[in-house]
This record gives sequence, C-alpha cells and structure tokens, in this order.
Amino acid sequence: MDFAGAFAWDNVVFILKGLLVTLEVALISIVLSFVIGCILAIVQYAKIPVLSHIVATWVEIIRNLPLLLLIMFTYIALPDIGIKLDPFVSTVVALTVFESAMLAEIVRGGLRSIEKGQIEAARSSGLTYVQTLWHIVLPQALRSMVPPTVSQFISLLKDTSLATAIALPELVHNMSIVKSQNVNYTLPAFLLATMLYLIVNFALSIVSRRLELRRA
Amino acid sequence: MVKSFKRMSVLSLVAVFMVVLALAGCGNSQTPAPAAGGDKSAPKAEAPKTDAAQPAAAGGLDEIKKRGKLVVGVKYDTFLFGFKNPSSGQVEGFDVDMAKAIAKKIFGDESKLELKEVTSNTRIPMLQKGDIDAIIATMTITDERKQQVDFTDVYFKAGQALLVKKGSPIKSIADIKKGVKVLGAKGSTSVKNIAQKAPDATILEFNNYQDAFAALKAGQGDALTTDNAILYGMAKQDPNYQVVGGIFTDEPYGIAVKKGNTDLQKTINDLLKEMKQDGSYDKMYEKWIGEKPSK
Repeated sequence: MDFAGAFAWDNVVFILKGLLVTLEVALISIVLSFVIGCILAIVQYAKIPVLSHIVATWVEIIRNLPLLLLIMFTYIALPDIGIKLDPFVSTVVALTVFESAMLAEIVRGGLRSIEKGQIEAARSSGLTYVQTLWHIVLPQALRSMVPPTVSQFISLLKDTSLATAIALPELVHNMSIVKSQNVNYTLPAFLLATMLYLIVNFALSIVSRRLELRRA
Repeated sequence: MVKSFKRMSVLSLVAVFMVVLALAGCGNSQTPAPAAGGDKSAPKAEAPKTDAAQPAAAGGLDEIKKRGKLVVGVKYDTFLFGFKNPSSGQVEGFDVDMAKAIAKKIFGDESKLELKEVTSNTRIPMLQKGDIDAIIATMTITDERKQQVDFTDVYFKAGQALLVKKGSPIKSIADIKKGVKVLGAKGSTSVKNIAQKAPDATILEFNNYQDAFAALKAGQGDALTTDNAILYGMAKQDPNYQVVGGIFTDEPYGIAVKKGNTDLQKTINDLLKEMKQDGSYDKMYEKWIGEKPSK
C-alpha cells in the first residue's frame, strides 16, 4: 500500500473533480425528481379519471426496475429511436425518472396521511380543490415527508455511482482511474472515495434531523 | 409554518446556486462531448445515410474526411493503453498513440482526433450508433465480436504471460516445473490456464492482483501470471520485475470499425504494416511497454 503516492495532490484533486460531477448530477436530479415526484403524487391523489391510473401504472413499472438498467437504457438503447444523450444527461434523465417514481410514493403517502376531515372543512369554507391542496394538504404532508425524502436523496446520491457503467466521470469512475495507476493505490483510493461519500451523506442526514427537530 | 416555508425556499435557493456554481466550475473540465441535441452542428446535411439525424461518426472514410476529424473510443482507466492522467488531464497510452497515428495517416495531422471514453459495456453500441469511428480499447478479437464489428489486423499481441523478479531462473512457461510457485488471482481464467499449461506448478491464489503482486515482492512465489498488459503495468511500477517468455495464450487486441466500413479498416491495416516496417510500431511499443515487441 502506498498512501503517499495515492494521495499525491493531483490524484486527490482528480478524485475531488469526480465528487463534483457526482454532486452536480445528484443535485440536478434531486431538484427535478422532487418536482416531478410531487406532480405524479398529486395526480394520483387527485383521482383524475384515466390519468391517475396511467400515472399509477407508470410509477409501479419504474419502481420495479433496477436503476442500472434505466441508466444503460437511456445511454445505449435510446439512440435506437433517435434520442442521443451524453453520459451526463443520460444519468440525470435515468435518475430523475427512477427517483421521481420513488418520491411519488413517498409524497402520496404523505398526502394520504392528512385527515379527510380537514379537506372537508376547507372545501366547505369555500376553498377550491386546488386551493385546499396547496394551502392545507401539501404544507402538512411535505413536513411529514422530510425524513423519508432525505433518505431517498441520500440513496440517489449513492446511486450516481452506477453511472460508471456508461463512463460518467463521477467519483467512483475517477477513483478507479487513480487506482489503476498502481496496484498499491487500490486501498487508499477506495478509502478516500468512502470518506467523501460518508461526509456528504452524513451532512445530508444531519440536515434531515434538524428539519425533523424543528417539526417536533 | 411560514417560517419553515421560508427555510425551505432558502434551502432550495442554495441548492440551485450550488448547481450553477458547480456547472460553471467544471464547464471546462468536461469533454467536448455534445449535450442533448448539441450534435446538430455535425455535418449531417451531406451525410447520405438513412440515419441523417444521427451525428458525427457514422461511417466511411469519406465522411471522416469531410468532418475533418477522427473520433475514436478509448478507455480512460487502463494504465499504459488508454489512461486519463490525473496530473495532466490528458488521455495517454498505447491505444491513444495508435489513434493519433491513424489520424495522422488520414489527415496528415495527429491532432485531428477526438477521443471518447468507452467501457466494455458501451464500446460496441457506440460504434454501431456512429458515436465513434473506431474502437481502440484493449479489445480482444473474438468470433462472437466479429459478428458485430469488423476488426483490423492485430495491433497488440495480448495474452497470458509471466512476471518474475529480474535475474530469476524462470525464462518462460517451460521453466515452470515441479515445485515452482506461481501466483494468481482467485477465480481468474489465468489460474486455470496455468494449471493446464504447467500442471506441475504449485499455484497460490490471492484475492486480487494487488495481493498477488505484494506476495511476489515478499518472495512468497516465483512468478505471477495474468494478461501481459496488466503485467507490463506492474513491471512499470516496479522496475525490479520483468515480463518473461512471451505469451502462452492468444488473446490478440484488434481495432474495431463499424461493420462494412472496409475503407477505414484497410487504411488502418495499411498503416499497421507501414508502422511495423519503418520501426515506428516498435518505438511506440517500447515507449509504453518498456521493451521491444516479441516477434
């Protein structure tokens, strides 16, 4: 093992650049999948004829597929129908599709936890259905969803590593380049990547815990 | 509640800000690989292909010349062959020099080359979709792959070999006699091969090549066996060790082009012949592998 060699400045910077790509992909996917997940959940919750069923089926299908398959699908199979994406965009698309379906289930659970009585009260005091959703149901539902949502974000961040399969230059990808320079760099490179994932995800779960405390 | 909403919006603002920052920060470090739809600048108008909407590297030599650059898929994580140097950010290696030589042959200028990273999963689909003109990525010529792509002649004689300490009495597979300890990695085909070719050898298996190499250095064995490409990388890391005796299995690397792209295939084959005749192949081989190619 050669810690000094493996942790040479250039190698560390290179791995940190990988972390940056990981964070970019994760942040963009988190924002997109949260918005889309909420929309999917509301459509299901609102029981719009036909549309709600289509969305429910979609969510069920996506939730039952492995993410790696989706990532490889967007990069390798979509070109067959004329859609060409680079590894970065492919990964964001695949993660967004997958995580929005996962989040839709979390949000739907949150929405359903709001008592019917509140909705009835809101409706009878003159609020429209949309107003009721926006002012009464969503704010309460969102707060109860914080812990499962953050843990979903944490797994999203970890799942970006699957994109090494399509050569996205993210953390695991850059780590494997560093370790391939020298057999003695293997363990140090793995340790560094492990530390970086831990730091980022631990920070996320601290944020989650603080939000929970505020709620209580 | 209002307060928590404020907090949420602050948080999301921060998130958006970070995304923007990150994007700005690494804009220059990304490869010029086009984003979605960015390929529109490719000269698709003159491409007489049915997949005219597809970008860049779809096909024949004429198209490559028209485009003005050759697009080659290489690995970024394979030391000595296709490797993105963390210090310089450049991709370098035997495969990369090969790609440069082809670009020079076609354009008279080795810089008219674009490298794209491939993995074992993505290289054939990328070639078939026209993302790249050729694959130079430590790819062994096999019958199964020949059904999907066309290979050039062998550009690197890969196969299983032996790594020993300099000055070792072991000069080739023939010296692996009874009592000689050979190190390998668990479950690898190279361990099975050595058991077949040298049935008298004592084989010690390790979890990975790192451990096996460490054991060789510690004197726990006499030779380490796996693909010569990996062994040359180890020998480069520690000059006290050398690869001996040539290869005893045959897993030659070829350059893959899209099926039916015979003019590019022929250009590369001609180039390989020229390079072997004028000695530039040997020079390139020595530059990366550290010794002359075995005849």
